[in-house]
Parts: sequence; structure tokens; C-alpha cells
Amino acid sequence: MGHVVRRNKGMDGQLTTPGAHREGRVGTWPRRRRVLRAVTVLLLAMTWAAACGGRDENTRLTLSGSALGPEAEVVRRQLARFAESQPGVSVELRVTPDAADQRHQLYVQWLNARVPDPDVLQLDVIWTAEFAGAGWILPLDEFADDSDDFVPAAVAASRWRGRQYAVPWFVDLGLLYWRTDLLDAAPRTLQGLRAAADRLRSAGATRFGLVWQGARYEGLVTVFLEHLGAFGGGILDTQGRVIVDQPAAIQALTFMCDAVSGDGFVPPSVLAWQEEQTRFAFQNGEAAFMRNWPYAWALLQDDAQSRVAGRFAVAAFPADASGRPTAALGGAQLAVNARSAYPDLASALVRFLTAPEQMLERARLAAQLPARRSLYDSEALAEALAIPVGQVRHILDSAVSRPVTPVYSELSEILQVRLHRALSGQQTPAVALHEAARDMRALLARTGLAAEPLTP
Amino acid sequence: MTSIGARTAIIAGVVLLSALVFPLYWMIAASVTPESRLFESPSLLPRPLSFEHYRALFAERDFLIPVRNSLVVASMTTVVTVPIAALCAYAVARLRFRGRGVLLALMLAVSMFPQISIVPPLYLMLRELNLLDTFPGLVLPYVTFSAPLAVWLLTAFFRQLSPELEEAAMLDGASRVRALWDVVLPLAAPGVATAAILTFLYCWNEFLFALSFTLGPDRYTVPVAVTLFRGRYQVPWGQVLAATVVATVPVALLVLTCQRRIIAGLTAGASKG
Amino acid sequence: MSRLPVTVAIADARLGRWLVAPALVFVLLGSLVPVAATAWEALHGHDLRLPWLGRPFVGLGNFVEAAQDARFTSALVHTITFAVVTVPVELALGLALALIMHAAVRGRALVRLAALLPWAVPTVVAALVWRFMFEAQAGVITAPLRALGVVGESFDWFVRPLAAWVPIGIADIWKTTPFVAILLLAGLQGIDPTLHEAARMDGARTWRRFTTITLPLLRPAIVVAAAFRMLDALRLFDLAYVMTGGGPGTATESLSLYAFIALMQRLRFGYGSALSVTVFLLTFAFALIWVRALGRSLIGERT
Repeated sequence: MGHVVRRNKGMDGQLTTPGAHREGRVGTWPRRRRVLRAVTVLLLAMTWAAACGGRDENTRLTLSGSALGPEAEVVRRQLARFAESQPGVSVELRVTPDAADQRHQLYVQWLNARVPDPDVLQLDVIWTAEFAGAGWILPLDEFADDSDDFVPAAVAASRWRGRQYAVPWFVDLGLLYWRTDLLDAAPRTLQGLRAAADRLRSAGATRFGLVWQGARYEGLVTVFLEHLGAFGGGILDTQGRVIVDQPAAIQALTFMCDAVSGDGFVPPSVLAWQEEQTRFAFQNGEAAFMRNWPYAWALLQDDAQSRVAGRFAVAAFPADASGRPTAALGGAQLAVNARSAYPDLASALVRFLTAPEQMLERARLAAQLPARRSLYDSEALAEALAIPVGQVRHILDSAVSRPVTPVYSELSEILQVRLHRALSGQQTPAVALHEAARDMRALLARTGLAAEPLTP
Repeated sequence: MTSIGARTAIIAGVVLLSALVFPLYWMIAASVTPESRLFESPSLLPRPLSFEHYRALFAERDFLIPVRNSLVVASMTTVVTVPIAALCAYAVARLRFRGRGVLLALMLAVSMFPQISIVPPLYLMLRELNLLDTFPGLVLPYVTFSAPLAVWLLTAFFRQLSPELEEAAMLDGASRVRALWDVVLPLAAPGVATAAILTFLYCWNEFLFALSFTLGPDRYTVPVAVTLFRGRYQVPWGQVLAATVVATVPVALLVLTCQRRIIAGLTAGASKG
Repeated sequence: MSRLPVTVAIADARLGRWLVAPALVFVLLGSLVPVAATAWEALHGHDLRLPWLGRPFVGLGNFVEAAQDARFTSALVHTITFAVVTVPVELALGLALALIMHAAVRGRALVRLAALLPWAVPTVVAALVWRFMFEAQAGVITAPLRALGVVGESFDWFVRPLAAWVPIGIADIWKTTPFVAILLLAGLQGIDPTLHEAARMDGARTWRRFTTITLPLLRPAIVVAAAFRMLDALRLFDLAYVMTGGGPGTATESLSLYAFIALMQRLRFGYGSALSVTVFLLTFAFALIWVRALGRSLIGERT
């Protein structure tokens, strides 16, 4: 304990007293210790408080999805209605980034980390197989009997290995927008489309013939899908085998390349365009035809910014004799987190949100096409939608989904790169598609998905 | 003293220092410029001044939460790292035991590890332990990566302390532990403070682990929160820059008040005879 | 020379092990064991999105795949080139800054502050601020360049594969030059001023004194600074992720960034681990070469 205080001289001549520390700095060390202790306690308390947060009496469900503009309002309204109908339950909307690939990344991160919320997730149609395969979302067998009412292509995209994993919520379709003041009717064949486009261009009525999204991104694959269908081809067949290097597909890509090259009826600048750029071109009257999604309708009708308001209509993208008109399917589906703490409640929420009333409300307020076919016969939808239901209805039946496989994003990436190379003239269509098919087959083989039949 | 030629030195100095400081000035200036004027011709003095970005940052984006998260994680880490590093450093500096050199070399080697190379197993482990997106989940890798630097720093520091004091105490009958507690630790305050500051700075600035092991705004630290501000079509630069200013303020304060200590710490850790 | 009896030395040794234990445990559990685990994971195929494939042992399969992966090779080239280009610049500028800081008599605190701030600022902040300054429309750097006619009207640094490296490089140089300067400053302060006095009286001019006295004596510090910077440059992640996300395409992907994408975005833990191991080996190889070539000046004091 105490030791004899002795004065020593250290080697450098300085006084070094064993107790010297007490004299010069008397009070500082005990004080410092106290301060340290106080700080530690404070930090621990802060941490504990932070970790606890507020405790909710209610059962809290979380829905995660897009909340762009009017969507947010509609969703919140519907969630509130659901919560009212369920005593002791509150539902929260967790806003996610608007950009689809960012949302995808976030979902992947969350679900892989096995978080229990969000309980219900809004998925892009091309994500369902991926999430189902990874075991991140629950099978929703209770919805299987209802599936007849939904758009068939959307249902196909919600199934994986025979079971249903998501419920279609709203759909997007690839549409051909055409100028009603320059043409009497929409072209019924690809050749007709090309002829009309060339005619209008040479007559000086428009600068471009047809514009579509040709940048190196997912949109390009949807455009290609429609051309594929027009020639009777596809990316994967019903047995899940790669058929993108077959003659029909090569024909389709050749058609696209010819259109974009030289004096073709599609301007080469589309190779850097996404949806908005094509919309601007059509909206300014520069293009006679545009391939785009339904969202553009309302914007094109807006007098303030559009020069073609009231002078356009939509039709299915035309086909060749060997194929049929095809509309690429987009849109969203609702799925339940496999680790949700309240799976039954989450399922009830999904059923509520996909009920016809809610879909109609969404159509009216957010201008999104419902996924239920029966609604397209109703007056209510006709009033709710800005886009004429009659024009859209028969296109619904020609909707085709992109390949339903857990590795779709990689397949798409392979295809995007090759398609863009062919379109920009770096490769011939045949070579590009052969290489793409080769890489796709290798990918499917490597991931054990070489022959996954599509569940009808 | 090396003399280069006084005038060239001054000019070069001013140029270099301005280059170092200018981006930070620009950051502050832009953060108080209204969004509409951000991309017009850049001017050195923004007029009119607008604090809209800061308001939006705290009112709409809840930026106080990442700030709290960073503070908590940095504090927790410092509270763990500094004591264990101090004990370890004292042992290395003063006590003879086998493997001393190896230990120091090990510390040095570990500080050279690429952070990415420990992410996979740490992620899987934290997931199993349900520690993803939690404070302790971040503190673990932070302590691991800040301890070596703290050990190096404190070792150099302890080596500078004359051993006479402790030896005198021990010759008087005190045990080594007693000597450590009563004699050395009070004198170690400056070194400990430096180690604490550098550890805090490391945690505040760290990005990769925070990005990998947190999942949502509730636990994002400041660097992660600022990076994930991307909007759909455009980056909201005004708010982003306001956020960077907020991220820089604690750091700037630390540097302002402790620059001498920081430099001493860095050079002590770096000079190896 | 300790005056303490031998019994104390023995107790010391035992105490030493206890005192060292906590730090050692953290370092072992937090760094060494995980690195070994990563290496083990790299020998397996483990895709978290494809659970039906399990986690088979694939030996060096992932490394073979990496060797054939063009994206890996370019990431490797990017990383090494980045390190080799930026480090000498940082050394040169750091030396200049150190000389200035050493020579500054007045305003020393201000100089130190200005030098420390870039180093202390989070890398993410540096990335965002420099990105802002290089932004296309009226970024404060692009605008004058455009006015001077050096770059075209619609020049965008971030859509060109090579040009996108410039902002990254400059941000890195800006951020780390002060660190180098501080390390070199310590070395400068250790040089005996009488050496310079003697040389000056012998008539040696400034440059000659610099090259024959300062540089050689500064060599250990330069070597240390170069080693630290090189190791950091090879681990490049923050700047690339925040400034460009690896874009355009994959033109600014560093090795660490590619590993991160493979791990956390593609969830290919086996392959991503192999990539992480490659980063580790790269830094390890560099450290080994450095130590071999320059002897003891890197590994510190002897026990």
C-alpha cells in the first residue's frame, strides 16, 4: 500500500519521487478516473436507449415499395384502410429508392441478412423467381385458386417450380404509340410499320420513323422481346432452354439492326436513349411511332408540354407473318418475406391490396394498369384510366413475360451487351446471338438451371 | 533548417495550402447556395445565402440519426480500444516476454490487411449472431482495425517515458500492476488522449464495414448515409454537400483543438528508428 | 538496464501475457481468423442466391475463373496502375509540403491545420466534394477548362473510361498528401541542422545540399511513407465506390470494389472471397517485396 517516500535522482538528473505524481497532479488522477467512469456510463446508457427505441403496443406490419408521386398517397391511404379493419394492427410504408436496381439491391441486402421486416415487398416482375429460388419469400398457395383472374403472363412470372410466390399487383405493357393525325390506322404488320415510317419520313412529316429504347439496359431487352415475338422467336422456350440463337431470333435482331443502320427508319441515336428520351422525341412531334410504356400516355396528353396531345393512340407492336404481336410485360407483384413475424397478416394485406377495389383506386389515382383481367370489362376502369381501356385490353392478351428464372439479371446482362454490340454494328446479329446463347447456356448449366420448365 | 529560397517557398507554400483548403471552402460555399444556382457559373462568394439544404437535411432526411449512430459507434469503439491497446502497449514497451517482437509485427501486419478480405466471414458470423445492423456488430471490426494503430502509438509513447519512475516505485515494494496504475497511467494521459482521438477519427470516417454490416437508415453511420442520398435522376447536391459539411464538423473540431497531438501521434507511430 | 531483481522479471513476463491478451484476442478473432476463413471460403462455391447448389468444395476453381474473367484482370490492372501513378505524385507533393511546413516559422499552426484537414476528413466527403467539383455542367474545375478550350463543350469526366480516373486520382492525392507530408516532416525535423550549416559554409548551393544531405537522410521516412501509401492505394475502395460506383461500365473498378460487388451485390461469396484473397495476396506480395528490398527499415524496433 504505502511506500516510503524517498527522493531519488534519476539518470538524467531529474527528481523522480515515487510519490511525485501525487504532488504535481494531486486530484487529477482520481478526477480523471471519475470522469472516465461517468463517460462510460453515459455512453452505455445512450447505447441502451438507442438500441431500445420506442416499444409499440401494436403489431406492426411493414410494406416496402415504390412511392413515386401519387403512388405514395394511394398506398398510404390503402394501408390505413387495412389497418382500420384489423384491430391492434398498424401498417407502415417503408419508402425505398425510386430507381429499380437500387431497390433491388436493397431488397437483396435485407433479405440476405434475414431481416424480419418489411413483411410485404413490392417486387418487379423479373425479381420473383430470383427471390423465390433463394428462399427469401413465402409460397402463397392460398392465392392459387384466384389466379385465373390475373393476366396470364403476370401469373407465369409469379411462379417458380410449380408454386406461386407473389401476387400480381399492377402491370406495364410495351405499347406502340402512333400518330392519328398522320395515319388512318395502326400498322398491322412489321412491314407495314416500316413502310409507313419511311413514307412519313420522306414526306417530311416527321424527322424519325420509329423510336424505341436502345441504350444498354434492361429496357433494350424488352424491346428485343417484342421483336422476337413478332418473328415467332423467344429467349427461353417453355422447357427453359435457350433459343435466342435460333433463326427466328436472328431474323428479329437483323430486322432491328437494319432499322437502326444507315438510312433505316429508326434513328441511331436511340442507342443511347431510355424511356424519357424517346418520349421527348415523340412528344415534340419528331417521331411518327414510339414504343414505350403506358406511363407516357398522361404526359403526352398534357397540352402544356406535348405537341401531340390528342393526336395519338396506342396499339400492339405489330408482327411478321411468322409471329404474333407481342407486348413485353412489366409491372409489380406483392410477396411476403420468408422471415416475417406475421406471415398470415402479411398475406391478408396482400389479398387486400390486390382486391379489385384497391386496384381500381390505384388505377384512378396513380394511373397504373390493374393486373386483374376482369376489371378491363368494367366501366369503372374505363372512367378511372386516362389511357383508353379498349385500346389496351386486347394488348393484355399478347403480353409476354421475360424469362422466369432466378438468374434473370445475369441473363439479361449477357443479352444486353450482345444486343447493343450488334445494334452498333460491332458484330453481326448471328454472331452476337450465338455468343449470347453460348454464355447463357453456360450460366444456366453452372447454376443448375439448365432445363427448368416454365410453370404455366 | 533547409532553405529553399524564401520567396519561392512562400509562393509555393501558399499555392499548395490553398489547393489543400479550397475544396473544403467550396464545399461550405456550395452548401449554402440555393439549389437552382448550384450549377450556374461558380462564384467564390455565394449570394444569396440559403440554409435550405441544412433545414431539409435535418427536417426531411432525419440526418441526426446517422450522426447519433456514428457518435455511438465511435465512442463505444474508443472506450474498448484505448484501454486494451494501452495495456498491450505497456506490456510491449516495458515487460520482457517471449514473442514481443512477433506481436508488434503482427499488429503492423494486421493494419495492412485489406478490409475487404475479412468482410465475407464477418458478415456470415454477424448474421448468425443477429448482429447485423446493430451497434456491437460494427464495434467488433472497428476495434480490431483500430487497435493496431493504437498499440503502435502507445508503445512508442511508453517507450519515451522514463522507466525510472516505475522502477523506483517497484523498488519501494509496489507490484508492477500497482506501479502501472499509480505511476504510469496518469503520465500516459497525453498518449492515451492521442490514441483516443485517432481511434475516434478512424471510426467516424470508416466506410466499407459500415456499408457491409448495416442495413437501413436506423443504423447507417454518417459516411454511408451521405453516400446513399442518390435521387432517381439527379443527385441532390445541395443536401449532399450540407451533409458532408456536417460530417466534417466533428473532424475539423478535433483537428483544430488537437493538431499538435495528432501530428505527434502519427509521427511517433511512424518513426521506426 | 533495469535495476529490478530477477523475480520481478519473471512476474513481468507472466503479467505481460495477461496485459497483451485482450488486444491479441481482438486482433486474432477479428482479423486473422476471418482472413483464414475467407481463404477457406474461397475454395468453395457458395452463391447465397442459389441455395440448392449447396456449398461444394471447388479447390482452386474460383481462382481459375478469376484468371479467365476479363473484369477481374482489368480491375487488377486498374488497381496497380492507380497505385503506381498516384504514390510517386503523393511522395513528391508530400515532400514539397513537408519542406514548406518545416520552413514555416510564422503561421505554423495554420499551416499544420491546413495540411491536416484533408487527411482527417472522411474519404466519402472527399469523394463527394471532388465529384461535385468535376461535375459536368458547371463544376468548378470543368468550367474554366472549357472556357480555356482544353475540353469540349459537353465534356463529362465520368462517362469516359480513362478520364473518370482523373477525379479519383486527384481526390486521392489531395487527401493523402498531408499524411505523407507529416511523416516526412518528422524525418526532416530529425536532420541535424549543423550539417546544412557546414555544407553552406563550404559553398554548397541549395539544390546540392538538398540532394546530398536532406534526401539521403530522409530516405527511411520516404520508404515508410511510400510503403504505407502503396498499401493503401492497393486497397482502394471508398473513392471508387462513392465517386463513380466503378463506372462508366466497369472502367473505374478497383479490385476491392469488384470483390465487394461480387460479395454483397451478386452474393457470390465463394468467388468474392477468392477476389478478396487476391487483394490480400497483392498487398502481401508488395509488403514482402518491399521488406526484402529495403531490409529492416520497415519492420520496427527490435524487442
